[in-house]
Amino acid sequence: MAFRLAVRALPRRAMPVLGRRGYAEAVGAADKIKLSLVLPYSTIFSSEEVTQVNLPAVTGDMGVLANHVATIEPLRPGVLEVIESVGQSKKWFVSSGLATVHPDNTMTINVIEGAPLEDFSAEAVRSNLAEAQRVAAGNGSEVEKVEAGIEVEVYEALQAALR
Amino acid sequence: MSSLWRQFMTYNRYSQIAARALRAGLKEDARVQAEKRGFTALRYQEWENGKGGEQIWVDKPQDDGRAKPAV
Repeated sequence: MAFRLAVRALPRRAMPVLGRRGYAEAVGAADKIKLSLVLPYSTIFSSEEVTQVNLPAVTGDMGVLANHVATIEPLRPGVLEVIESVGQSKKWFVSSGLATVHPDNTMTINVIEGAPLEDFSAEAVRSNLAEAQRVAAGNGSEVEKVEAGIEVEVYEALQAALR
Repeated sequence: MSSLWRQFMTYNRYSQIAARALRAGLKEDARVQAEKRGFTALRYQEWENGKGGEQIWVDKPQDDGRAKPAV
């Protein structure tokens, strides 16, 4: 007696496109990432294609190109640079914010306060830095010294950026 | 190394202090425009059965003549 083993045909699961593992592919020169860069009171970029964005992340300075891995980065006071195409770059100094790179080659940067570098006054930064350092090293309460420490961090980064 | 400010305040407060420091470093005319953004005002009102209660200020606006009267 021959048993006929009926092999039940399992429904074939559709292979997910992202399931293939491979080495990271080099980014082509023409690939761009869509950037939305916003302040609470104005929009600087709204889903516009740019080549590269340099961020002052808390974990360190980083550059974001097209097809970057998805990540969420809090920003520290520092210079944010947007390179729209080769040779065309714009810089802003930002106080803090959050940068999110999405999996579909777009990114959103929410900045709390920022301004182009030419809008800053080196004199004001120098005197404010001295004042904040004085308070931070003085004998106020812990909270006051920590607040002054935050201002020192901003002014030191600003001084470095304006140099 | 974790930040010192985490012990004393929230990220909201930290970001507001950093923004205030940035605004103070701007040039004259840009700074005047920017300082206005540092002012906040907040009030709340409880509603019940379609009637509003008293409007209570949490954070009063600067009293420089430009503030609008409460509606």
